[in-house]
Amino acid sequence: MNARVPSLLELQRAVRRSVVARDDAEAGGCVVAGGIEPAARLDIYRNTFASVLTNALRLSYPAVHRLVGAECFEGAARLFIDEQPPQSACLDEYGANFPETLARLEAVAALAYLPGVARLEWAVSRALHAPDAEPLDVARLAAFAENDQARVRFAPHPSAGLVRADHPADAIWRSVLEQDDAALAAIDPASGPLWLLVHRAATGVEVSRLSEIAWRFTEALFAGCPLRSALEDAPCVEAEALLAEHLAAGRFAGFSLDDTAIS
Amino acid sequence: MIADWPLIFPAASLRSGRSPVPAKAGIGLRFPHHQAVVDTHPEVAWLEVHTENYMGGGTSLRCLETIRKDYPVSLHGVGLSLGSADGLDAAHLARVKGVVERIDPGLVSEHLSWSIVGGTYLADLLPLPMTEEALDVVCRHVDQTQACLKRRLLVENPSSYLRFRHSTIPEWEFMALVAKRTGCGILCDVNNIYVSACNHGWDASAYLAALPPSAIGEIHLAGHSVKQLDGGRTLRIDDHGSRVAPEVWALYAEALARFGPVPTLIEWDTDVPPLEVLMDQAARAEGALKEAQRERARAIAA
Repeated sequence: MNARVPSLLELQRAVRRSVVARDDAEAGGCVVAGGIEPAARLDIYRNTFASVLTNALRLSYPAVHRLVGAECFEGAARLFIDEQPPQSACLDEYGANFPETLARLEAVAALAYLPGVARLEWAVSRALHAPDAEPLDVARLAAFAENDQARVRFAPHPSAGLVRADHPADAIWRSVLEQDDAALAAIDPASGPLWLLVHRAATGVEVSRLSEIAWRFTEALFAGCPLRSALEDAPCVEAEALLAEHLAAGRFAGFSLDDTAIS
Repeated sequence: MIADWPLIFPAASLRSGRSPVPAKAGIGLRFPHHQAVVDTHPEVAWLEVHTENYMGGGTSLRCLETIRKDYPVSLHGVGLSLGSADGLDAAHLARVKGVVERIDPGLVSEHLSWSIVGGTYLADLLPLPMTEEALDVVCRHVDQTQACLKRRLLVENPSSYLRFRHSTIPEWEFMALVAKRTGCGILCDVNNIYVSACNHGWDASAYLAALPPSAIGEIHLAGHSVKQLDGGRTLRIDDHGSRVAPEVWALYAEALARFGPVPTLIEWDTDVPPLEVLMDQAARAEGALKEAQRERARAIAA
C-alpha cells in the first residue's frame, strides 16, 4: 500500500485491522514516524478501543464484574471484543452475547450460575435503556367483542424481557450489587431453575419471578402470538389475572388484530 | 455526488433553539451529576451532554428534559463518524435527529474524525488523512447532517497522536474549508489544538490564527495528560481527566482575543470530579470571557 496513495476506504480498513486485530502491516506504513514508532502511536487508539468497550461491558454487567474480579473481567471482555467488536456507536446496545462468551470460558467454569446472572444483567440493562413507549390503553382493548379479543396479538413494551436461569440468578444479582455477603452466602445455588420477568416501571427496573407456565404464556404473548393460541400453547390457569397484571403494569405497548396494527 | 455548494439555510432554520447558548461558561454534564444538578440547580450558564447518552428512554432522558427546562443545553455527538468513507450511518443520524427534536438544544456539534468502517465501530475519534478526498467526504456528510437536522452543525477540530504521510492539507486549512464549503460552524477545542501542536510540532497560535472568526460557535477547554514513551519521547493524551493546563488557559486568552466572547465549555470525562471543581474551572473561563467582553467594548468605543 506504500507504493501509492491509499484511498480513504483502504486506509480506514487498514486502521481497523490495526485497532481490532493489532495488525499494523499496512496502517503503520502510512503513518509519519516523527521520532516515535507508528506502532506506539497506533497503541493509543488500540488502548482507547479496548478500554472504552471494556467499560461499556462493565456498566452493563456490574454484578458479573464483582463476581469474577477486575482482572478476570478484563480478560473475558478482551476475548468478547476480539470476536464481536461493536457495530454501532450506541454502546448501550453492545454486549448482548457476552453471557455466551462467559458460558464457554474455562476460567469461570466453576461459577455455573455466572451465565444466568449475566443474562439477567443484560435484560436489566436493556430495560434501563429501552425507548419510551406509551402503555397500551386497556379501554381500547375492552371495546372489542370477546371473540375478537381471542385474536389479539400484543406488542411488548420495549423494556420488557424474559430470562430463564438454571440457578437463582436474581437473588445472586441483588446480593452482589448490594454487597450483602450474608445474603449471598445463604443462597442455595441449586435452587433453580428460575423463570424471570424484567420490565421498566416508573420507579425503575423490576425483576419478578413467574411460574414456568406463566412465563411460557407471557413468552408467547411477547412473541406476538394471538391470545387464544398463547393459551393453547401454555394453558395457564391464572392467565386472566396475569394478563390483567401485565396490562396494569404497562408491559404492552400496542396490539393488533388480523395483522392490522391498532396501537 | 460531491457537494461543491453549501446548502443555503433560511435564517429561520439557523435559529439556535428556544433557549440559545449564551457567550458564557458552561460545563459538560455527565451521569454522576444528574441528580445534583436537578436538586441544587447550580449557577452555571449552560450545560452540554453527549448526544449518544440520550438515545434510549427511561430516567436519564427524563432527567435531561427536566434540566432542559432550566438551562440552555448543547448536544455534543461522538458517534456520527463524519469522515467515514462508507457513508453516514442513516440509522445513527436518525437517532441524533430524535434527540435533537426532543431536547431542542441551543447548539449541536460533532467531530472532524471517523469511527466506523465496514460496519465496525472503533470506539474512538480517529484521525483523517488531510486529503481532497477526505475533505469531499466530510463536506458531503456535514451537508447531509445539516439538511437532516434542519440546523447548523458545529464541527470540532480533533486531537491526534498520528499523522498520515499522504496528507496534503494543513489541518487548520481543512477546518476552514469545511466551514466555508458547508456553512457549518467550528467548535474550537483549544486543548485539542494544544495537544496536537505538541504531538506534531505545530504552532498552536498559527493554528488559531488560520480559523475564520465568524465561524467559531463554541470553545472547548479540558485537561490532558502526558504519556512517556520509550526513548524519552512523550505524547500528550487528550483524556479529559484533569484541570485545564496553564498553557491551554494562555491559548484560550489568545482565542478570545481573536474570536471575541464565545460560549465556552469545561469538559471532564475521566475520573469526573465533584461538581464544585467543574464550577471552579467554569468560573475561571467566565472571568476570561468577561475580560474579552470589556476588550470588545473598549475596541468599539475607541
